[in-house]
Amino acid sequence: MIKAKIYRFDPGKDKEPYYQDYNISVQRKVTIHELLNIIHRDYDGTLAFRTYKCYKGMCTTCIVKMNGKVVKGCTTPLEIDSEVTIEPVENGTVIRDLVVDFKTM
Amino acid sequence: MDIQNFTTDVVVIGGGGAACRAAIEAAERGMNCIMVDKGRPGRSGATPTALWSIQAPFGARGRDERDSPDQFFEDMVRAGRFIGDQNIAEIVANTACDRILDMERYGVQFKKYDDGRFYQTPMPGQTYPRSCFMFENGQHMSTILAREVSRHDNIKVFKDFFAFHLFKNEGAVVGILGMDMLSGDLVAVNAKSTVIATGGYTSLWGFSDNPPTLTGDGVAMAYRAGAELVDLEFNQYYGTDVIWPPSVRGCVVLYELMIEEFADGEITDRVGNPIIDKPLPIRDEAIKTIFTVIKEGRGTEHGGVYFDTTKSPKGEKAVRDVFNTMTPKHYHFIIDAAGIDLVKEPLEVAPASHYQCGGVYINERGESSLGGLYACGEAEGNFQGANRLAGSALCDTQTMGAQVGGCAADDTKKCDLIPIDKKDLNSVVDIIKGFMTKKKKKIRPIFLKEEILKTMDEFVAPFRDGKGLSKGLGNIRGIRDEIAKISVSDVGRYNLELREAIEFMLAIDAAEITVGSALFRTESRGHHNRVDFPETDNKNWRCHSIVVRKSGKAEYSKRDVIYTRLKPDDE
Repeated sequence: MIKAKIYRFDPGKDKEPYYQDYNISVQRKVTIHELLNIIHRDYDGTLAFRTYKCYKGMCTTCIVKMNGKVVKGCTTPLEIDSEVTIEPVENGTVIRDLVVDFKTM
Repeated sequence: MDIQNFTTDVVVIGGGGAACRAAIEAAERGMNCIMVDKGRPGRSGATPTALWSIQAPFGARGRDERDSPDQFFEDMVRAGRFIGDQNIAEIVANTACDRILDMERYGVQFKKYDDGRFYQTPMPGQTYPRSCFMFENGQHMSTILAREVSRHDNIKVFKDFFAFHLFKNEGAVVGILGMDMLSGDLVAVNAKSTVIATGGYTSLWGFSDNPPTLTGDGVAMAYRAGAELVDLEFNQYYGTDVIWPPSVRGCVVLYELMIEEFADGEITDRVGNPIIDKPLPIRDEAIKTIFTVIKEGRGTEHGGVYFDTTKSPKGEKAVRDVFNTMTPKHYHFIIDAAGIDLVKEPLEVAPASHYQCGGVYINERGESSLGGLYACGEAEGNFQGANRLAGSALCDTQTMGAQVGGCAADDTKKCDLIPIDKKDLNSVVDIIKGFMTKKKKKIRPIFLKEEILKTMDEFVAPFRDGKGLSKGLGNIRGIRDEIAKISVSDVGRYNLELREAIEFMLAIDAAEITVGSALFRTESRGHHNRVDFPETDNKNWRCHSIVVRKSGKAEYSKRDVIYTRLKPDDE
C-alpha cells in the first residue's frame, strides 16, 4: 500500500491549498508518474498533473516535489509499502494541483 | 465557458520539430504567426523522444564523399517500397543539408570530425553513413528550436493549448478552435492559413514509444474538415522497445547499435539464439522477424525478445562507453527508473508503435486537398511511403517544415481573411458543453480511450488480416456509440478529463479510418502485412490509399504515386 498525500489547489476556487490522502494498492514498485496515472484513472479523475513523458528522464515535464525534494516523476520509484507527499515544484505558478506553468522554457 | 478570439496570418498546430520550423519560416517571410503547442514549449510532441539521428547527404562535408542528394533520394524511395511521392522526396533530399546548417545556426550541436566535417553514423538502408549526430538527441533539438521560435516577435506561442477543431467557411479552412488548458477557456484563432504539424498518432496503440498525448488530433481534425488522408495503414513499428519492466515500458533501445562499430551485440530469442542477421535489415524487415519469433513461442516471459550486449566481444567497458556516448539518457533512464543496467543483463524488448508513414495528403508545397490547410512533418502523409529509414523523420520535420511554412506564408500574402462561421463555432461549443453535463449512465473517457488502444493492439498490429480488421472496425464503431454517455466534471483549469473526452472524440475517427485503410489495402508491403494477402501486389497496389469523409462516411480510393525520377525496377 502506498499512502500518498497529494497537494490539491485550484486558485480559481480554493482559498488555500490542501492535501488529499489516497491509499493506493500496488503489486510492484511504481514510479511517481505511474502513481499519478493510477490515481487519475482509478481514484480521482479530477486530479491535475502533466501526463507527457519522453521515456528518457530528460524533458522534466513530470517534475514534482517528493517529500520536499524536487524529483523527476518518471525516474523516481516508490516502494510497495511507503508513504509519500507529492507537491508541485516552485518554478512557476500553480495552475491546478500539481500542474505548474513553468517560468523557464 | 469563456471564448477568447484571436486573428493571425498563419496558425501552426503543434510544438515539435516540424511546427517550430514551419512557424520560423513563415515568420521570416513576414507573416504574423500563432503556434499552438499542446504541451510545454520545447518539451512537447514526439521530437523530444527522438535519438541522435538526422539524415543529410553531406558527402565530402561529412563522413563519405560518395554520398549525394541523389543517393539519399534513391535510398528513401526504395525503403518506402515505391509508395512515397517523389516530388516530396526530392525536396527532402535536396534541402536536408541546408536545413541542418540552419539548425546549427540556431544552436543545435552536432558531432564533428577534427577537420570540421559532420560525423555521421551508418544506419540500415543508407548506402553511405548519413545520420548526423546530435548531441543530447531530440530533446536538445526541441529546446533549441523552441528557443529560436521565441526569438521571433511575430510568432505568438500558446502553450498548453489543445487544438481540436478546424473552422471552415466558403469551403476553406479559416482557423482553429482549441482549449487553453491553463485558463480552461476556449480559444478561437481566425487565420488565413492553417498548418497541421501535430505529429503522428502512435499512442492510439497501447504499446507505443511515443508520448501519450499523440492520439490523432491532427489527422482527425483534417478528416472531419473533409481533407484527404493517405496511406494510414502504414503505421511503423520499431523493433526493440522495452516491454518489461512496466516503469520503463516503451523506452527505445536501438537495434541499430548492435553492429560491430558500436555495441556488437545481438537480438536473441528466449534461449539466446541471435535472430537478426548482419548487416542489419531495415525496420519493416526487422519487425517482421521479431514478431515471427514471438508468435512462434520463442519469445521471452513477457512477450518480447532479448536485447543482449552481455556477450559482446568488445567487453563490458567498451559497450558501456557506446551507450554512454550514443544514447546516454536512455541508458541511465533504465538504470534510474528500473534498476537495470543493460550492459550487464539482457533487456526484454518488442516491437512498439513508433511512427505514422501516412497522414494528411499534400502536394510538394504542403497544400492539402482543402484550401487554406497545409500539413508537414509526421502529420503529412505521402512522402515516407510504406516504410521509413532511420533519421528520415527528423530530417522531414526540418525540410518539409521550412518548405510548407514558406509556401503557406507566400500564399497568405495573396489572400484575404475569411471570417469564422458562428454556426460552426456554436456547434462545437455545444459538443464540448455536452461532455460536461451530468448524465444518468455516465462513462469516463479514459476507459473509452483504453478500449481503442486495446483494439488497435489486437487487430492493427503489423500482422493483420481481414477477419481481425473487420472485428476491430466493429469494436471501434461500438465504442463510438458510447460517446453520448461521456460525462466529466467542469473543473475549469487544466481539465484533464475534458481533454480526454475531446481526444477520444478525435481518436475514434483516427482509429476508424486507420483500420479502414488497413482493410482496404489487400496486399502486403512495408509495415502493412496482411496475413490473408501475404504477397506484394505491384499490379494493383503500388499506389496510395486515400480516405476522405463524404456525407459523414469514410470513402476509400486509390491514387497513383508520383514518380519524378526513379521508376520501380520492373516498369
